[in-house]
Amino acid sequence: MAKIDATVAGETKYIAVWVVILSAVMEAVFLILGMWSYKVLLGNILGGASAVLNFLFMGITVQSAVMKDEKEASMAMKASQSMRSIMLLIVAVLGIVIPVFNAVAVIIPLFFPRIAIAFVPLRDRKKNIGEVKKDGE
Amino acid sequence: MLELAIGIILGSCALGAGIAMIAGIGPGIGEGNAVAKACEAIGRQPECKGNVTTTMLMGCAIAETTGLYALVIAILLIFVAPGRLVDILMSTIG
Repeated sequence: MAKIDATVAGETKYIAVWVVILSAVMEAVFLILGMWSYKVLLGNILGGASAVLNFLFMGITVQSAVMKDEKEASMAMKASQSMRSIMLLIVAVLGIVIPVFNAVAVIIPLFFPRIAIAFVPLRDRKKNIGEVKKDGE
Repeated sequence: MLELAIGIILGSCALGAGIAMIAGIGPGIGEGNAVAKACEAIGRQPECKGNVTTTMLMGCAIAETTGLYALVIAILLIFVAPGRLVDILMSTIG
Protein backbone atom coordinates (compact mmCIF):
# COMPACT_ATOMS: atom_id res chain seq x y z
CA MET A 1 0.00 0.00 0.00
CA ALA A 2 1.30 3.48 -0.91
CA LYS A 3 2.37 5.79 1.92
CA ILE A 4 -0.18 8.47 2.74
CA ASP A 5 0.97 11.95 1.73
CA ALA A 6 1.53 14.45 4.60
CA THR A 7 -1.01 16.87 3.09
CA VAL A 8 -3.69 14.17 2.86
CA ALA A 9 -2.93 12.93 6.39
CA GLY A 10 -3.09 16.49 7.76
CA GLU A 11 -6.40 17.29 6.10
CA THR A 12 -7.89 13.95 7.18
CA LYS A 13 -6.81 14.68 10.77
CA TYR A 14 -8.45 18.09 10.55
CA ILE A 15 -11.70 16.53 9.25
CA ALA A 16 -11.57 13.77 11.90
CA VAL A 17 -11.19 16.32 14.72
CA TRP A 18 -14.18 18.29 13.44
CA VAL A 19 -16.24 15.10 13.03
CA VAL A 20 -15.53 14.24 16.69
CA ILE A 21 -16.47 17.79 17.83
CA LEU A 22 -19.67 17.87 15.78
CA SER A 23 -20.55 14.32 16.90
CA ALA A 24 -20.31 15.47 20.51
CA VAL A 25 -22.61 18.40 19.67
CA MET A 26 -25.08 16.04 17.99
CA GLU A 27 -25.06 13.69 21.01
CA ALA A 28 -25.71 16.67 23.26
CA VAL A 29 -28.66 17.77 21.11
CA PHE A 30 -30.13 14.25 21.25
CA LEU A 31 -29.62 14.26 25.04
CA ILE A 32 -31.33 17.66 25.42
CA LEU A 33 -34.26 16.51 23.27
CA GLY A 34 -34.58 13.39 25.44
CA MET A 35 -34.03 11.11 22.44
CA TRP A 36 -30.61 9.76 23.41
CA SER A 37 -30.00 6.01 23.58
CA TYR A 38 -27.11 3.66 22.84
CA LYS A 39 -28.52 3.40 19.28
CA VAL A 40 -27.70 7.08 18.72
CA LEU A 41 -24.13 6.53 19.91
CA LEU A 42 -23.64 3.46 17.70
CA GLY A 43 -25.19 5.23 14.71
CA ASN A 44 -22.96 8.23 15.31
CA ILE A 45 -19.85 6.03 15.43
CA LEU A 46 -20.84 4.27 12.18
CA GLY A 47 -21.71 7.51 10.35
CA GLY A 48 -18.71 9.46 11.64
CA ALA A 49 -16.24 6.68 10.87
CA SER A 50 -17.58 6.29 7.34
CA ALA A 51 -17.46 10.07 6.77
CA VAL A 52 -13.77 10.20 7.79
CA LEU A 53 -12.98 7.03 5.81
CA ASN A 54 -14.71 8.51 2.75
CA PHE A 55 -12.53 11.63 3.00
CA LEU A 56 -9.38 9.52 3.52
CA PHE A 57 -10.15 7.35 0.48
CA MET A 58 -10.75 10.48 -1.57
CA GLY A 59 -7.41 11.88 -0.39
CA ILE A 60 -5.58 8.66 -1.29
CA THR A 61 -7.17 8.70 -4.74
CA VAL A 62 -6.22 12.36 -5.25
CA GLN A 63 -2.67 11.61 -4.07
CA SER A 64 -2.24 8.85 -6.62
CA ALA A 65 -4.19 10.70 -9.35
CA VAL A 66 -1.90 13.75 -9.38
CA MET A 67 0.97 11.48 -10.47
CA LYS A 68 -0.96 10.29 -13.55
CA ASP A 69 -1.72 12.09 -16.79
CA GLU A 70 -4.88 14.20 -17.04
CA LYS A 71 -7.17 11.64 -18.67
CA GLU A 72 -6.14 8.79 -16.36
CA ALA A 73 -6.49 11.05 -13.31
CA SER A 74 -9.99 12.08 -14.34
CA MET A 75 -11.03 8.45 -14.87
CA ALA A 76 -9.50 7.36 -11.55
CA MET A 77 -11.37 10.10 -9.70
CA LYS A 78 -14.69 9.22 -11.34
CA ALA A 79 -14.23 5.53 -10.48
CA SER A 80 -13.27 6.37 -6.91
CA GLN A 81 -16.29 8.65 -6.51
CA SER A 82 -18.62 5.87 -7.69
CA MET A 83 -17.07 3.35 -5.30
CA ARG A 84 -17.23 5.75 -2.36
CA SER A 85 -20.86 6.57 -3.14
CA ILE A 86 -21.67 2.86 -3.08
CA MET A 87 -19.83 2.57 0.25
CA LEU A 88 -21.88 5.43 1.73
CA LEU A 89 -25.08 3.93 0.30
CA ILE A 90 -24.30 0.60 2.00
CA VAL A 91 -23.53 2.39 5.28
CA ALA A 92 -26.77 4.41 5.13
CA VAL A 93 -28.85 1.33 4.24
CA LEU A 94 -27.22 -0.67 7.07
CA GLY A 95 -27.97 2.22 9.44
CA ILE A 96 -31.62 2.22 8.46
CA VAL A 97 -32.19 -1.55 8.18
CA ILE A 98 -30.29 -2.77 11.28
CA PRO A 99 -32.29 -1.78 14.39
CA VAL A 100 -29.12 -1.43 16.49
CA PHE A 101 -28.43 1.95 14.82
CA ASN A 102 -30.44 5.16 14.93
CA ALA A 103 -30.98 6.05 11.25
CA VAL A 104 -30.80 9.82 11.80
CA ALA A 105 -27.58 9.47 13.82
CA VAL A 106 -26.02 7.49 10.96
CA ILE A 107 -26.97 9.92 8.18
CA ILE A 108 -26.25 13.31 9.85
CA PRO A 109 -22.49 12.66 10.46
CA LEU A 110 -22.03 12.03 6.72
CA PHE A 111 -22.42 15.81 6.27
CA PHE A 112 -19.92 16.76 9.01
CA PRO A 113 -16.90 17.01 6.65
CA ARG A 114 -18.82 19.65 4.66
CA ILE A 115 -19.35 21.68 7.84
CA ALA A 116 -15.66 21.22 8.75
CA ILE A 117 -14.64 22.59 5.34
CA ALA A 118 -16.72 25.71 6.00
CA PHE A 119 -14.27 26.48 8.83
CA VAL A 120 -11.15 26.06 6.67
CA PRO A 121 -10.87 29.81 5.83
CA LEU A 122 -10.78 30.48 9.60
CA ARG A 123 -7.89 28.03 10.05
CA ASP A 124 -6.04 29.47 7.06
CA ARG A 125 -6.46 33.00 8.40
CA LYS A 126 -4.99 31.93 11.76
CA LYS A 127 -2.10 30.24 9.95
CA ASN A 128 -1.45 33.36 7.86
CA ILE A 129 -1.49 35.61 10.97
CA GLY A 130 1.02 33.23 12.62
CA GLU A 131 3.29 33.35 9.57
CA VAL A 132 3.12 37.17 9.43
CA LYS A 133 4.06 37.34 13.14
CA LYS A 134 7.01 34.98 12.54
CA ASP A 135 8.18 37.11 9.59
CA GLY A 136 7.88 40.27 11.76
CA GLU A 137 10.20 38.80 14.39
CA MET B 1 -58.18 -0.48 -6.56
CA LEU B 2 -56.24 -0.26 -3.27
CA GLU B 3 -53.50 -2.51 -4.67
CA LEU B 4 -53.24 -0.22 -7.69
CA ALA B 5 -52.91 2.86 -5.46
CA ILE B 6 -50.20 1.17 -3.36
CA GLY B 7 -48.46 0.06 -6.55
CA ILE B 8 -48.47 3.63 -7.88
CA ILE B 9 -47.04 4.91 -4.57
CA LEU B 10 -44.23 2.32 -4.54
CA GLY B 11 -43.48 2.82 -8.23
CA SER B 12 -43.39 6.60 -7.88
CA CYS B 13 -41.07 6.38 -4.86
CA ALA B 14 -38.71 4.05 -6.74
CA LEU B 15 -38.80 6.30 -9.81
CA GLY B 16 -38.16 9.38 -7.65
CA ALA B 17 -35.19 7.67 -5.99
CA GLY B 18 -33.76 6.79 -9.38
CA ILE B 19 -34.20 10.34 -10.66
CA ALA B 20 -32.61 11.72 -7.46
CA MET B 21 -29.54 9.57 -8.05
CA ILE B 22 -28.96 11.29 -11.41
CA ALA B 23 -27.47 14.06 -9.24
CA GLY B 24 -24.76 11.56 -8.28
CA ILE B 25 -23.28 11.81 -11.78
CA GLY B 26 -22.37 15.50 -11.38
CA PRO B 27 -19.83 15.22 -8.56
CA GLY B 28 -17.99 12.42 -10.38
CA ILE B 29 -17.58 14.51 -13.52
CA GLY B 30 -16.71 17.64 -11.49
CA GLU B 31 -14.10 15.89 -9.37
CA GLY B 32 -12.61 14.26 -12.45
CA ASN B 33 -12.23 17.64 -14.16
CA ALA B 34 -10.79 19.24 -11.00
CA VAL B 35 -8.14 16.52 -10.64
CA ALA B 36 -7.28 16.72 -14.35
CA LYS B 37 -6.69 20.47 -14.06
CA ALA B 38 -4.72 19.97 -10.84
CA CYS B 39 -2.44 17.53 -12.68
CA GLU B 40 -1.88 20.21 -15.30
CA ALA B 41 -1.12 22.82 -12.61
CA ILE B 42 1.30 20.53 -10.75
CA GLY B 43 3.00 19.68 -14.04
CA ARG B 44 3.52 23.38 -14.66
CA GLN B 45 4.58 24.27 -11.10
CA PRO B 46 5.68 21.15 -9.16
CA GLU B 47 6.66 23.25 -6.11
CA CYS B 48 2.95 24.10 -5.54
CA LYS B 49 1.92 20.43 -5.18
CA GLY B 50 1.00 20.71 -1.48
CA ASN B 51 -1.16 23.82 -1.93
CA VAL B 52 -2.86 22.45 -5.04
CA THR B 53 -3.61 19.11 -3.35
CA THR B 54 -5.08 20.80 -0.25
CA THR B 55 -7.31 23.14 -2.27
CA MET B 56 -8.40 20.31 -4.55
CA LEU B 57 -9.20 17.97 -1.64
CA MET B 58 -11.44 20.59 -0.07
CA GLY B 59 -13.07 21.35 -3.42
CA CYS B 60 -13.70 17.68 -4.10
CA ALA B 61 -15.25 17.22 -0.64
CA ILE B 62 -17.60 20.16 -1.28
CA ALA B 63 -18.53 18.83 -4.72
CA GLU B 64 -19.28 15.45 -3.21
CA THR B 65 -21.84 16.88 -0.78
CA THR B 66 -24.36 17.34 -3.61
CA GLY B 67 -24.06 13.63 -4.36
CA LEU B 68 -24.64 12.91 -0.68
CA TYR B 69 -27.80 15.01 -0.65
CA ALA B 70 -29.10 12.98 -3.60
CA LEU B 71 -28.17 9.75 -1.84
CA VAL B 72 -30.05 10.73 1.32
CA ILE B 73 -33.13 11.80 -0.67
CA ALA B 74 -33.08 8.49 -2.56
CA ILE B 75 -32.77 6.50 0.68
CA LEU B 76 -35.65 8.43 2.25
CA LEU B 77 -37.77 7.82 -0.84
CA ILE B 78 -37.07 4.09 -0.70
CA PHE B 79 -37.23 3.42 3.04
CA VAL B 80 -39.37 6.15 4.62
CA ALA B 81 -41.74 7.66 2.05
CA PRO B 82 -43.64 4.48 0.95
CA GLY B 83 -44.63 3.60 4.52
CA ARG B 84 -45.79 7.13 5.30
CA LEU B 85 -47.72 7.47 2.04
CA VAL B 86 -49.43 4.10 2.44
CA ASP B 87 -50.40 5.11 6.02
CA ILE B 88 -51.89 8.36 4.67
CA LEU B 89 -53.76 6.39 1.99
CA MET B 90 -55.16 3.96 4.57
CA SER B 91 -56.26 6.74 6.92
CA THR B 92 -57.93 8.55 4.00
CA ILE B 93 -59.85 5.43 2.96
CA GLY B 94 -60.70 4.75 6.60
